[in-house]
Amino acid sequence: MTIAYSDRPRFSPNIDRLARNAHVLSIAGFFLLCCVVFTLSSDVFLTSGNLLNVLRQSAPLMMVAIAMTFVITSGGIDLSIGSMIALINAVTAIALHNGAPWPLVVGGALMIGASLGLAQGWFIAFQKIPSFIVTLAGLSILRGVALLFTEGFSVPISNNASFAVIGRGDFFGVPVPALLAMMTMIAGYVILDRMKFGRHVTAVGVNPEAARRAGIPVRLVTMSVYGMTGLTSAAAGIIIASRLSSGSSNAAVGFELDVIAAVVLGGTVLVGGRGTIIGTVLGALTIAIIGNGLILVHISAFFTQIVTGTIILSAIWLNSKVFSQMAVRYRGRSKTL
Amino acid sequence: MNLTGPNQSAATVRAVVRRGNPIVSMRGVTKRFGSVAALRGVDLDLFGGECLGLIGDNAAGKSTLTKILAGAYVPDEGSIILDGEPVRFAVPADARAQHIEMVYQDLSLCDTIDIPGNMFLGREPTRALMLDRAAMAQETRRMLDELGIRIPDLTLTVAQLSGGQRQSIAIARAAAFEPKVLIMDEPTSALAVVEVDAVLSLINRVKAKGVAVILITHRLQDLFRVCDRIAVMYEGIKVAERAIADTGLEELVQLIVGEAHTS
Repeated sequence: MTIAYSDRPRFSPNIDRLARNAHVLSIAGFFLLCCVVFTLSSDVFLTSGNLLNVLRQSAPLMMVAIAMTFVITSGGIDLSIGSMIALINAVTAIALHNGAPWPLVVGGALMIGASLGLAQGWFIAFQKIPSFIVTLAGLSILRGVALLFTEGFSVPISNNASFAVIGRGDFFGVPVPALLAMMTMIAGYVILDRMKFGRHVTAVGVNPEAARRAGIPVRLVTMSVYGMTGLTSAAAGIIIASRLSSGSSNAAVGFELDVIAAVVLGGTVLVGGRGTIIGTVLGALTIAIIGNGLILVHISAFFTQIVTGTIILSAIWLNSKVFSQMAVRYRGRSKTL
Repeated sequence: MNLTGPNQSAATVRAVVRRGNPIVSMRGVTKRFGSVAALRGVDLDLFGGECLGLIGDNAAGKSTLTKILAGAYVPDEGSIILDGEPVRFAVPADARAQHIEMVYQDLSLCDTIDIPGNMFLGREPTRALMLDRAAMAQETRRMLDELGIRIPDLTLTVAQLSGGQRQSIAIARAAAFEPKVLIMDEPTSALAVVEVDAVLSLINRVKAKGVAVILITHRLQDLFRVCDRIAVMYEGIKVAERAIADTGLEELVQLIVGEAHTS
């Protein structure tokens, strides 16, 4: 027996696909618009030197934002990343300052970052404490520990040419941090879009009870995504230490907000269940070029935060109101005709 | 219990033959939620090739009982015996591994994931570590065809489907993976008449394969088309069990509202 659904005339399925990708398309359009505006208003913007510099400087933002995409897609949030970066930044500088070999320091710092992230994830996943609370506590504790270690002073890293390559080196003309960010991007895309783990992260974000009933190890998946933000925050802390040749407990203050903005600007839904790595990358790049472009066109640096905030608010407002309503109208029309 | 009534179907006869060997025996199952005693010691047997209708008023404990069998709840007391072996289901995955599948009343679908992704949720096939999307789409098409469910575009997310289509996906998912026990909690609530017919004929088909089916429904007339036996729940207790041939609509209604056994 066949179930006879009454056939509705359908428009091309491309409309549905367009609606589903509307967020990524709109951020792509907005990114291009920013590029055009800054290219027209500054001679320096569209030079390879400037663009490579933007890539180098935005690499930490991009790497953490990619991991944050997983956290937000799973229905959580990680506010501790700025503090995590500061802690790893400080610990790395202190260890190098005291003569520890750099490969050991890098490996150890990555391990510490991942473990601290997993520890927060354990409280969230297995102890059922909201991620907002756990990582808010983490935000306070981790920077506190960094302050304790450095006593508030900046710790210099001197004469370590091999370590400096991580933040300042080039590889065939491309900044090493940009290469690291690109690798993170590819890994993030493959894991979220193509692998079982990413599918499970999405399922946990949209309907955790359905995921549990389907046999997905919900708590393990939830815990792991905080390990990912911990790991990439550690990488970001190392890159910043290498680029600035110093470590400071005051590094990356307010960084979590830039990261969350990049992710949400990219079209990942803040309540979970839908995430896009391409969107996040475009979101991070947009925030980076806005910061860069405003400096190039000689707008006071104090304006940067105001403009960034305004743009984020309006972009997301456009996204959630205008584009979604357009999508709904299209779908509605295809149904009633 | 008299099962030799004039209206018996082939399935009923099989059920009589298998009477001695239930696939599942639940014994003395209790479950409390805070101060509410949802189940107060329920015994239930399920036989292969038989459909058991589980009925009762709201909050009678039907869903709780079946969720315990599906591993979604852990009982406070009582035992489950599966094929003669005692089993404990700590998580739904344990029950699924034993081929106990359930269509949940809330459907348990992930709205932002496409149709094949929902069909294979939690058991996605992979090739070289990547999701094997082609295989998932192909298998999904085959499974839906087999159940006579027609959805032209499999790349749609579940959120884009109608209520009936969503329910069909949930049913197809439970029925497609060789279940030994198939539990359906209100599977037809969002379906049109033809679609209900398709689900009922699906139940008859899986029964014929030897599957034990539990059907929870408020549409009592459906029970008489597929069920072999009816169990009635009332405030956390199984108050009655009837062979389908021995009962009628009127008696079932009385049992549900509690007139037949509380007076």
